[in-house]
Amino acid sequence: MYKYSEKDTQFLIERVDQFEKQLNRHLSGELDEDKFRSLRLRNGLYMELHAHMLRIAIPYGILSSEQLRALADVADKYDRGFGHFTTRQNIQFNWIQLPEIANLLRDLTDVGLHAIQTSGKATRNITADPLSGLTEGEIEDARPYCELIRRWFNLHPEFSWLPGKFKIAINGAKLDETALRIHDLGLRLVKNKKGELGFSVYVGGGLGAAAMVGPETASFVPVEDILSYLESTMRIYNLKGRRDHQKKLRIKFLVRELGASEFARLVDEDWQETKDDPELKLNLKELQSLKEVFALPIKPLSLDGFKDVADFNYGIWKKNNVRNHKVSGYSIVNISLTKPGAAPGDMTSEQMRVLAKLADQYSSGELRTTKRQTIVFPFVRQDQIHKLWKSLEEYGLDSPHQGTLAQIVACPGRDYCDLAKAVSIPIANRVQERFNDMNRLLDIGDLNINISGCENSCAHHHIADIGLLGMQKKGEEYYQITLAGETLHETNIGKKLGPSVSSDDIVDAVESIVNVYIDNRKKNEKFTDVFKRIGIDAFKEKVYG
Amino acid sequence: MDEIQNPTSLINKDYEEIELVTLDDWLDNFDELSKKGVGLIIEPSDDVYLIRDQLEFIELIALDFKNFDDGRGYTQAYLLSKRWNYIGEIIGVNAHLDQLQFMLRSGITTYQLLESYKGSNEEDYSNGFSLCYQAAANNNGLNLQY
Ligand code: SF4
Repeated sequence: MYKYSEKDTQFLIERVDQFEKQLNRHLSGELDEDKFRSLRLRNGLYMELHAHMLRIAIPYGILSSEQLRALADVADKYDRGFGHFTTRQNIQFNWIQLPEIANLLRDLTDVGLHAIQTSGKATRNITADPLSGLTEGEIEDARPYCELIRRWFNLHPEFSWLPGKFKIAINGAKLDETALRIHDLGLRLVKNKKGELGFSVYVGGGLGAAAMVGPETASFVPVEDILSYLESTMRIYNLKGRRDHQKKLRIKFLVRELGASEFARLVDEDWQETKDDPELKLNLKELQSLKEVFALPIKPLSLDGFKDVADFNYGIWKKNNVRNHKVSGYSIVNISLTKPGAAPGDMTSEQMRVLAKLADQYSSGELRTTKRQTIVFPFVRQDQIHKLWKSLEEYGLDSPHQGTLAQIVACPGRDYCDLAKAVSIPIANRVQERFNDMNRLLDIGDLNINISGCENSCAHHHIADIGLLGMQKKGEEYYQITLAGETLHETNIGKKLGPSVSSDDIVDAVESIVNVYIDNRKKNEKFTDVFKRIGIDAFKEKVYG
Repeated sequence: MDEIQNPTSLINKDYEEIELVTLDDWLDNFDELSKKGVGLIIEPSDDVYLIRDQLEFIELIALDFKNFDDGRGYTQAYLLSKRWNYIGEIIGVNAHLDQLQFMLRSGITTYQLLESYKGSNEEDYSNGFSLCYQAAANNNGLNLQY
């Protein structure tokens, strides 16, 4: 598994040392609130009304068992014994004491974890498909490219003070799990006619108030030229982005104002001046060595004659939670932490240690986190799945909810987040209670429900089958419903259904929507396909009729 | 609050005092000022492309970093220094302690800190990292990791 080198660790330590000095200057009154805000966000620290939250990056969603144990220790030592996995390959600790932050971060440098650029107006941690390297039909595993690009923009001197945050996603798979076109910048690995590898580039996508699917600015940038192309994109943004209007800071507003083709032309003009600079070429030797360290730790197995255990509950769990692996003899196992009453994405330190232990036993010591806030064991031998399930059952981690409607994605919402307009987690719990019958869940099949507590859209409600957005109306909590968002095959922002619905009525509304889907679907038809075929009015009628 | 200064002159590396003019002034009176030998003070919103072909006539350039979160100065420094090979001094004025290494690596040759940072340990911030992960205008003394 990929590990940071000694030099990388040295860099992390230097970053913590500097951050500690900044924190101390702030605590002694030397560094004012505004500047410290900008500086602390660059290191993932949010200071909220009741407590302080620290966001740690989980690069590409991959964790070693050793890293997960270190996170469990942090949860116990510095927090209240749990952490919250986000939709963007981070973990957040919500109850951190300011003077302890540097020590917490130092503890994590030992296992190569950090908070660098997990927030603030700079390049954020780059996200990739958490199943990278595991599924059939990938163009290539995106992770070595992600890592080279992440390093390049790590405290980049020119682009660390951008107009707004800058999120990048990179996908090398057939289906787009990364939702790259709703990112400030999305890269898709592609091959040209000659079979050479490069990237299609999409700029200016985003969720929130002005949700937008990012237009393509380049259809093919050769792999070795990608750094200079990204620099040119950020340079145009840095110089021309809207710094005058708090709500227009993101690159999508610049792309929209200039028009995608004019924006692309400006980037190209700048790029022509740098693309041949040998210093800006991607280091292909380093790429090769990264490909070797990211290579899978398993070889094909032949399990001739193996017959899995027949057991009703195991069968249901397996159907929902286990996926095919491209390496024969292995499977990908999803572990859903969804439980009535528990917050989606939350994990206790005890659960972290159990999962770390099981990952050592069953998954070559590796785990992955997904945007549906589940944990994946990427390398499970097919003849050990039943044993793994037994162990999960013992620890209460055998929720068969993966791939069903009950696997709801929810942001922390008003329970934990000062920006929230409404609660998210309690709504998720109420929907789960309504749909607590396994037969019904199996009948409904895979359906995404995502709930964000405000327009910042941390739960990505715009790209869910059913998206709920919390808002305030005359001091009461209401939810706006969007339907049929998607990214896997094509990218579509969910359509607004109609007026927002009160907290009291929202679960009924969700149930009506699900019923319209069930009543109208043809065999195996997905929610988005039914929606496209029958149109929004059929849903409107049932919800508001 | 920081006390922003608007310098009207700066000392160059030969210890000569150089008068500073604004970009508008420079463009309006190019014939006169280019003969006289002045320095330019560039605001974050100024378009440095306008002086791309006039760099040889400019004695020194001061980039104003007064607004902490406004990162345009870093690109201006990069363009002047690395891309257009400006050989005079590029001085970061109204500079912030926490941004010194970013400024220096982007192509600033020297800086004037804001008053409020007087007495701070500049080394911690001008030289806080011993390695870097990307090419830049100035990576002197850094362990290159790219
Ligand atoms: S969507 Fe809003 S409420 Fe939810 S975590 Fe993000 S900022 Fe907080």
